[in-house]
Amino acid sequence: MKRQIPLLIVIILGFMFAIHTFVPHKVSIEFYDWYQTWIKAISPFMVLLGIMSLFMVHSTKIKRKVPNWQYSLIILISLVGTGVVGFIWGTQEGTPFMWLFKNVQMPMGATMFSLLAFYIASAAYKAFRARSLEATVLLVAAIVVMLGQVPIGIKISKWIPEASDWILNVPNLAAKRGIALGVGLGMTATSLKILLGIERTYLGGGD
Amino acid sequence: MAKEKMSLFNRMQALDRRYIYLVVALAIILPLIIPFNSRTYVTEPTENVYKKIDSFTGRKDRAILMCFSHDASTMAELFPMEVAILRHCFERKIQVFTICFMPAAKPLMDYAIQTAKEEYNVQSGIDYCNFGYKPWGLFLPILLGMGDDIAEAVDIDDEGRKIANLEIMKEIRNYNEMNLVIDFAASAAVHSWITYARARFGANVAAGITAVMAADNYPYLQTGQLIGMLSGLKGAAEYEKLVDIFATHKEPDAEGILHPAPREFSKELLKESWIKLSDIKNRKHKTARIGMNAQTVAHVMIIVFIVLGNIGYFSSRKKKKA
Repeated sequence: MKRQIPLLIVIILGFMFAIHTFVPHKVSIEFYDWYQTWIKAISPFMVLLGIMSLFMVHSTKIKRKVPNWQYSLIILISLVGTGVVGFIWGTQEGTPFMWLFKNVQMPMGATMFSLLAFYIASAAYKAFRARSLEATVLLVAAIVVMLGQVPIGIKISKWIPEASDWILNVPNLAAKRGIALGVGLGMTATSLKILLGIERTYLGGGD
Repeated sequence: MAKEKMSLFNRMQALDRRYIYLVVALAIILPLIIPFNSRTYVTEPTENVYKKIDSFTGRKDRAILMCFSHDASTMAELFPMEVAILRHCFERKIQVFTICFMPAAKPLMDYAIQTAKEEYNVQSGIDYCNFGYKPWGLFLPILLGMGDDIAEAVDIDDEGRKIANLEIMKEIRNYNEMNLVIDFAASAAVHSWITYARARFGANVAAGITAVMAADNYPYLQTGQLIGMLSGLKGAAEYEKLVDIFATHKEPDAEGILHPAPREFSKELLKESWIKLSDIKNRKHKTARIGMNAQTVAHVMIIVFIVLGNIGYFSSRKKKKA
């Protein structure tokens, strides 16, 4: 029953939504309005579930003193601390919550993302080699696009931004469209398999 | 002599990463501390977003929706474009709505609004409306619901007011009026707007996206499913430039006092116009253009690294063959 009921919910609702998309009948519209009311009621519980799950995972790590359990403690303190500060003083400009955001989250987030620049530079020097014809084409394209993205490109030559645009609009576009078509077909096939109950891995347990 | 040269190339190959990191840090930090003027050329996708937004000037039956779908990690690229678009809207009396479905995007959204409205006398509920944070589970119901009735789908704004009662909503009902959605993301979040808001309701969709994700969106630009795109820091710098040249343009009167004199977009004017960074007093209005200096130096440096790395590689290979 633990597996059959969720499976039935997915199959029935999946087909109903598919019908709703293609059949603009009154019943179908009413069904969709009914769903919208329900989803509004259900969604806060998803947040609650997420918080509970986070607490359970990290409190277990702290209790068992697994390696690096200190990080779990920091996560829980941050979660509770930010939540309490937000609930007491609100989240508007000038509140402690906004102070935490500007002085803790913003610089930490920026730091994580900026590491990319260091890795790219290091990889460019250590690994980006013209070992083959394909690698050389990639290397030249990368240099043209990089120059085309900055003002110095147009200073060097008017041709550079034009070549950069061509690379993005022709070979890049063709490859991306091919990938998108493949992904789209794959998604359709997987959706059908889920609707027909063939694909069940989302239920967990590796059936 | 030849032996000495080869050992130099070998040393180049085995260069400690920490020296590379040091050069990168200097290449990025120095241009930020000492800004210099560089001419950012404006690309067509950015131009299209600007023109579309500008076409809503002063109209009460038109509005744009800005969806913030990113966190602080990508703020360097996306925040300047959000501020620039908000400034454009506030300057030209274009009605603007903001919304986010990520908890981490909420403070960013508030911060962008606060930053942009510093110099404008705009009122929430009249000139703009912040729909606030909505749980991710409501993304699709709200996205689709706005196609019928925005006030019903969103229900209350960030300040807890009924959307239906706000003055800004008088002539706004659904995507027919809120005719442009711009999604700011470091992911493929904009594809949902294309799939549902564009395909089903005919809403115009644009993207503000990080440079690494921009390549994914070119097929949608070509088909017109995206009316335009601001790509990374460059896109933000282009938009800042457009806002300064056209939307916030000022003309001196007989006594030399500057007065707002917004101009219509014109390619010729854009080619001729040139604003020095030092002439822009508010640093928040030129963040992306200052950042472009650092990006220019960083790109040149990476190209130099690629060239040096390859020189070292081919020299070592030649030596091995010999």
